[in-house]
Amino acid sequence: MLNYKFLVDTFFVALSGAPTAILITVVSLLIAIPLGFLLALVRINEVKFFNRFAQVYVSFIRGTPMIVQIFIIYNSVPLILATIFTKLNIKINIYDVNPIWYAFIVFSLNTIAILTEVFRSALGTVSKGQLEAAQSVGLTNVQAYTKIIIPQALVVALPNICTAITNLIKGTSLCYAMSLKEITLRAKVAANVGYNYVEAYIDIFLVYLIICIIVEYGFKLYENRLRAYKGVSA
Amino acid sequence: MLEIKNIHKAYGKNEVLKGVDLKIDKGDVVVILGPSGSGKTTLLRCINFLEKPDEGHANFGESDVNLKTISKKQIHEIRQRVAFVFQNYNLFNNKTALENVTLGLITGRKIHKAKAEEIGKKALDNVGLSEKYDFYPSQLSGGQQQRVGIARAVALNPDIILFDEPTSALDPELVGEVLTVMKNIAKEGTTMLVVTHEMSFAQDVANRVIFMDGGVVVEEGEPNQIFTRPKEERTKQFLKRILPEFTYTI
Repeated sequence: MLNYKFLVDTFFVALSGAPTAILITVVSLLIAIPLGFLLALVRINEVKFFNRFAQVYVSFIRGTPMIVQIFIIYNSVPLILATIFTKLNIKINIYDVNPIWYAFIVFSLNTIAILTEVFRSALGTVSKGQLEAAQSVGLTNVQAYTKIIIPQALVVALPNICTAITNLIKGTSLCYAMSLKEITLRAKVAANVGYNYVEAYIDIFLVYLIICIIVEYGFKLYENRLRAYKGVSA
Repeated sequence: MLEIKNIHKAYGKNEVLKGVDLKIDKGDVVVILGPSGSGKTTLLRCINFLEKPDEGHANFGESDVNLKTISKKQIHEIRQRVAFVFQNYNLFNNKTALENVTLGLITGRKIHKAKAEEIGKKALDNVGLSEKYDFYPSQLSGGQQQRVGIARAVALNPDIILFDEPTSALDPELVGEVLTVMKNIAKEGTTMLVVTHEMSFAQDVANRVIFMDGGVVVEEGEPNQIFTRPKEERTKQFLKRILPEFTYTI
């Protein structure tokens, strides 16, 4: 049956990778939220050229498997940077770079694409009349967005943002392919010693599940607070 | 105080305003009547630039402005003096009634919060909503929401208030309370330009009626004259369908 001592020990080994996973998540979000919002506005207002660029960008990211995106970035970016560095005579050994930097790139690009669609659809639920009323009372467009439109769009966007974040957290498990020491890799390495794979996989599951449940609970509380103005549903 | 000359507005091939002139003096209560598609709502929305006119000139009491080349800054200034009441209220859903009324004052005009709340509460009292300062739009009836919308416009102390079919989205029982508020505002001397189908308002309160059809002004004059002795055939046809033919008292 299961090796219970190993089960418990490996849980904490897996947990030790959590900070890395969370770091990748936070950095990606910090980059992706403003850029995603910007691209959403570009799409809504059909800004010439950038609208097309945004459509193609989102299609490409959505249409390719994340694991392959990781392979491509992990294999090609070092080569590109190495050629640039030798041309500019910069003495950095590209292969010493911590793979977490590639993780930042891949997951930021991914999350920007996802959030563009999340924000675009959320902003679309706010009726045009809200902006018109804001303009009629003399607010600038920036004021109208920050005080009226974004708060209303946010309530709608929250469930999707929660999904995007939990997908992001789980997606970091693919970074084991880059030998990045996060949750999945650490637990697998521990499992290799005594071939206790089942226990390791159970622990990996548990760690991700616990992190994601905490995130979901946080979002639930926030959503309830924001929904106050909507009153009791008829 | 407001003069519009030769406004044109087309959506693609569909020309909605085909050269409309309009003149409004201080204290006027002008009602615009007409069938749907006549351009009356578009005209109203062009005045505060919710739609951008293709051509035309406007004079807001100072200098003549070419509506084709108007700048964002000029539009912003005009909006400080022209307030709008919408057919579907368009209250800010995430703000209370009081916040709805004071937002334009605090954020738009940089008025102190305390003073803005004083003005806002007075405006809400005047429309009969002193009990509802902290209620959200989702907690108010349609008639109450529209009264907040009117309070929001009045609180800005504008030169003129535009009303776009203010009672068309209301249950018949609630129409009365909104019309009463509008009549009170008119009595206080507010300059109003109202698009409506409520003939009682036009007959009792307006001092001028404009009949529009097909993107042009067909006829305009005093309410009594328009309703009892219309000059144009189109006006007669429209009124026949809208006004009751006879009233019997038994």
